[in-house]
Order: sequence, then structure tokens, then C-alpha cells
Amino acid sequence: MFVTDIRKEFYDVVVNQRVALFVSPDIDALCACKVLQSLFHCDQVQYTLVPVAGWQDLGTAFMEHKEQYQYFVLINCGANVDLLETLQPEEDSVFFICDTHRPVDVVNVYNDTQIKLLIKQDDDLGVPSYDDIFRDDEEDEEGDGNDSGNESDGSAEPSGKRRRYDEDALERRIERQRARREWEARRREILFDYEQYEFHGTSAALVMFELAWVMSKDTKDMLWWSVIGVTDQWVHDKIPHMKYVTDIATLQRHVSRHNHRNEDEENSLSIDCMRITFEYDLRLVLYQHWSLYESICNSSYTSCSFKLWSINGQKKLQEFLADMGLPLKQVRQKFNCMDMTIKENLREVIEESANKFSMKDIRVQTFAVNFGFKNRFLASDVVHAAAALLENVEKDETSADNFIKALDCLSRSNLERLHLGIDLAKKKLKAIQQTVASCICTNLILSQGPFLYCHLLEGTPDVKLFSKPLALTLLCKYLLKAFLCSTRNKRCKILPLIMAAPLDVEKGTVIVLGIPPESETSDKKNFFGRAFEKAAESTSSRTLHDHFDTSVIELKMEDRGKFLDALITLLS
Amino acid sequence: MFCEKSVELIRELHRMGDGQLPAFNEDGIRQVLEEMKALYEQNQTDVNEAKTEGKSELIPSIKFRHSCLLRNQRCIAAYLYDRLLRIRALRWEYGSVLPTTIRFHMCAEEMEWFNQYKKSLATYMRSIGGEEGLDITQDMKPPKSLYIEVRCLKDHGEFEIDDGTVILLKKNSQHFLPRWKCEQLIRQGVLEHVIS
Repeated sequence: MFVTDIRKEFYDVVVNQRVALFVSPDIDALCACKVLQSLFHCDQVQYTLVPVAGWQDLGTAFMEHKEQYQYFVLINCGANVDLLETLQPEEDSVFFICDTHRPVDVVNVYNDTQIKLLIKQDDDLGVPSYDDIFRDDEEDEEGDGNDSGNESDGSAEPSGKRRRYDEDALERRIERQRARREWEARRREILFDYEQYEFHGTSAALVMFELAWVMSKDTKDMLWWSVIGVTDQWVHDKIPHMKYVTDIATLQRHVSRHNHRNEDEENSLSIDCMRITFEYDLRLVLYQHWSLYESICNSSYTSCSFKLWSINGQKKLQEFLADMGLPLKQVRQKFNCMDMTIKENLREVIEESANKFSMKDIRVQTFAVNFGFKNRFLASDVVHAAAALLENVEKDETSADNFIKALDCLSRSNLERLHLGIDLAKKKLKAIQQTVASCICTNLILSQGPFLYCHLLEGTPDVKLFSKPLALTLLCKYLLKAFLCSTRNKRCKILPLIMAAPLDVEKGTVIVLGIPPESETSDKKNFFGRAFEKAAESTSSRTLHDHFDTSVIELKMEDRGKFLDALITLLS
Repeated sequence: MFCEKSVELIRELHRMGDGQLPAFNEDGIRQVLEEMKALYEQNQTDVNEAKTEGKSELIPSIKFRHSCLLRNQRCIAAYLYDRLLRIRALRWEYGSVLPTTIRFHMCAEEMEWFNQYKKSLATYMRSIGGEEGLDITQDMKPPKSLYIEVRCLKDHGEFEIDDGTVILLKKNSQHFLPRWKCEQLIRQGVLEHVIS
């Protein structure tokens, strides 16, 4: 059931209770969690925070905590699956789900008592109406006792009744059964259309921030976290560009409200206070913490526009830098050490030159935070740093450890961790760039008919980084963009991409991920979730659909061949 | 040289700074006591000799041994007393149940003393603060808030708080709990206070 007044129906209910928070490992969830945690600290709500990496984790965590807690808050998990069936909770457990995964499972929508969805309803959800999917049992005169939506034919009536009724009744029964079959066929169709495509809705961090705002308990920290949450959705390509712009506009209103509250001629804020500013900044990843040259080479937008994996591309890059009049020595230096004269008009200069090289969208609307003299971060910087920390494979730590580290780096007092995250992110981006270059140059992307396919072999450098879903998603999207720029085949340009990377060498599993085709006006709807399920079923491959994103699965190496064949037949 | 053993005892205690309790040096004490016994006996014989035979040249050595005895006594007394002070501090640090490693370092008498101290502290705490008594070992510094956020560093199992509810402390889970319940576990290293 959708919650209409989030304050009354969610916050006021849990404020006097103890709550269990289950948070999924993505940056948006981390930010939403931080906002909710600060609200809870404010009101001294006792809670327990458990990071859950997938459905199995969620099940185990729920089993462990179901005795002690009645109220559960799930962040970025649980909306797209029938939760009551998966978890089998007691009657009095109540779940508050704040999830960006769509489509929301119909059982979750229409359950009035146990499931409350903290989702904004103006999100274009398209939930089918109740009557189309659920059928009242009392409509059945025969008293068949079928559950709604069951396909079984009517049970045999006792022979006594049959004697009393004559052919009229028989006709009526046949008519009813035909009507029911039609209804069920329509229901299947409606559900299929509804559940076919997976996409993402409004950021959970934004929902939590609006809750804080409604209660007038919002602070700049919370606003910054919600900015990071929305930016995460854009960086990992979960929402279409229009939605990102709309969300940014909403946030911009909040930012100006916060800024005008404090800034005054007489009482200007100390330089150490946090200041969030709206920026129309460059789309170069981490450029303020790196050198400009490195940033241009490792950002997917510029790298794909120049085709930097080819020699021509390198030449074009040099032309571009020459066109802007930036000396190579300056450009290769750390950004902070560049000449002030160059830094002053950098954005405009780059935009002008970028237009000449047909890069129209080199600038994007985003936010930056300033505190102290040294610390200035763009929202996308923090997203990349936190994502790198969350999926850190350098030390052998569990995902829960990494979760805690990433959660910590979002606080202002843990700047060293944030800088560590930025360093890891640089390594990750370089690895992605190199992998993309090698894949394009060695033609590793094969067209399988209805989709493109790329398989990373075990010996590939840095392949361990790509055993994690977020990193693999970034690689996938970058690769698809690069492929579109480098291929001449018109038909391939509208194909989606499936990528496989080794996950665990001992167990012989690979992680498989599918992304929708790349286009300017793409609505980012992904049908691979259902496709993978059906393919796995039909070939009885050993798969594990553990991630909350249904388009990411784990598969045994040996079953790869038949799984792909099944997918090809399914999608042709 | 005399009194060296006893000074070594003192040095050993001085080396372990910061309130740590080293193992009870039974050997060292025994040696010092033996030395004291030897000195005393020598002194006894000499005193008797000096009295009976009037050998006044023995007097300086008698005085010397006497001052050695006094020095040894002072060193041993300081050693034992300092250990007792450290043990007393342990009660305030760790609570009424000491970790086994520390218990091995105490001798039987020290354990006895510790139990007595515990009892008298408990009696005192019960006597102040109204009916239920007041636990003065909590909140050694004035607290900033009623509840604190803690992170679990190792699996500790179930933990019960005042209103009867049970919390499962699993590694890497974070909890927001009343401060007074967490202090013990923070000292034991099971929980970590998270400052954001």
C-alpha cells in the first residue's frame, strides 16, 4: 500500500518504536540511510542497521531479527518481489519499503496491512487496477474455493447439485468458465506488460530528505546526501536525463532556501561551514582531484567522442588541447597546481572547444560542496569515491565491512576515507578505460543476433574489479557507448549489451549483466531481468538471482553456452 | 649488593605503565624475603655477640643490615600497595567481572582483596541514590546524549537492554542504543562508538 502522508503513516508510527533497517549496497541507499539515521538520532529512535547484499542476506537478516523487531524499514530493496511470500513474516510485522526498483510487485501494492511503500505516487508507476488482477472469491456461485488468479478449472460439484440443475445451469457454468479464462488471459497479459521492463524511480535519498523537510528537520548535511543520492542514479545511468534534470531542479530549490537562510551581509558564514552551490560544471570525472588530461582520458563522454583507444583519437585530443590553448605541461599537472589564469575560465573555454568537436553536452547541472579552504567536492566525485569504497576488492574484506567504510566516507569528519575512495575510484576508472580500449581493439564484442555479448576472460588485468555489479555496470555502459562510436554496422547500434565477467574462479561462476540499448532518449527500461529468469528456467542452468537488480545474475561457467542460446531464442 | 632484588620488583612495576597489572612476581618476593631473613639472622648473631662480648666494631655492620632490612620492607610494601591500587582501578575500568588474563596475574590474596573491595563498593552504591542505589561506575564523564550510535566489531550474540528487548549483536551491524548499556561493551571492545 502506498503511503500518502509519509510523516503520519511512517515517521510518527516508528518514532516510539524500535526499528530494524535493512539497507542495500548502493550509494543512493547509503545516502537515504544517512538521512534517516540523522532523523532517528534527533528523535532518539532506537534502531539496528544491517547491510544486506542480496535476497539471501535479506532473508537471513530477517530471520535473525524477526523475534525482536516489529517494524522493518527496507531501503532500496524489497519492492519488486512479493515480500510476504519471500520472508514469511508474522502477522504483526510491518515493512516500510523505500525502494527505487520498479515495477513494484502488485502484491506489495495491494496489501493494506503489512507493507507500506514509501514511494511517491506521481512517479508514473502504471500499476494495474485491482479488479484486473485480483478476483473476489464470492463472485463464484459454485463455491469453488479457488485462490484469485488460479488457473485450475472449477472443481467437480457434488453430484446432488447437478441433478437439481438442468441445462440452463450447465450453460451458465460454461459461460462463467469461459469468462474466467478470458479474464485470466487478460490478467496474464497485463501482468506481463507491467513486469516486463525493470527501471528505477525517484531516489530514496530524495524521498527521505523530503520527509525531513516536511518535519522541518532538514539540515545541509541531509541535503548534500540527497544530492549525492540523485547524482548516483545519474552516474550509474539508472534514470533518464529528463528525470535527472527535474530532480536537480527540486534540489536546487532546497539549496537556495538553505543558502539564503544564512547568508547575510553582516552575518556571512565562516569559511569552515558547509556550503552547497549549484554548478553547471564539466562532465569530466574527478577532474578537480586529478589532472585535466587524465580526467579527459578516463571520462566516458570525452573518451568516446574522441575515440581515445585509437591513434586518431589521441591526435584529436591533442588538437582539442591545442585549440583551447592549454599547454601540455599544465594539463598533465594536478588540477590544484594548474595556473590560476587557466583555471579561471576553464569551463567556458572547454565548452567552446567541445562544441567544435561535436561534444555538445560537456557541461551538466550538478552541485558542489565547500567546507574549509581545501575541501571542495562535486557530487559526482563523492559518488565515485563511495562506489569505489563499496566495491573495494583490494583487501579481502567482506561486503559488510566495505559497506561500513563507504557509509563512513559520506560524513564530513571522515575526509581521509573520502580521499582514499577518490584514489580507488581513479584506479577503477583507469582500469575501465583500459578494458574498454582492449575490448574494442580486439573486437571482443560479438553480435549474437538480438543482443551484443562480451565476455571478460580470467586473465584480463583488473578483472577482479569487475566482479562487482556497480563497477561492471559502469564498464558495460562505457563499452556500449564506445562500441556505438566505433562500429559502422547500423543495426548493431540499437542492440542491448550483455556482459559476463568471472566472479569466483574456484567455484567457476561468472557474473552476467544486461543493459538496455543506448540512445539519446532512452528511458532506461531493462528487460533482461525477466529474460534471464526465463532462460535459466528453460535450460535449467545453475543460476543465482541474488541481486536486488534483477538484471544481474550469477551463473556457472559450464552453463554459459546453453544459457546464451536460450536467451537468443527467447529474444529473437 | 643488598636490596637489589627489591628495587628490581619496583622497576618491573614501573615499566608496566598505564595501569597494567603484570603477573604477581612470587619468586621475586620470595627472594627478597629470604634475603631479609638472612640479614635478620646475621644481625641477631651479631647483636648477641656485641652484647656479650662487647665488640663495638660490629655496630656499623648491624646498623647497615638494619637499614637494608628497612629498605627491603619499604620496597615490598610499595610493590604490594601499588598493585592494589591498580587492581582497584581495574574494578572501575572493567566492572565486577575481570577478564581471565588479568585474573591470572593476581595472587590469591589480591583476589580476596578485590572481592572485598567489590563488596564494599556495591554496598556503598546501594546505600546512595534512593531505593535502587546508584551505579557510580557509569558515566565517568558527563554524557552528551542519552543514546549513542555503536557499531559491532565482533559477533557477540544476544544482548538484553533494560526494557527486556533483545538485540542481536552481529559483526558490522550498527545500533542506536542507550548509552549506559553500551559502555561496558565498548570497554570490552565488542562495540565501537561511531561519531559522525
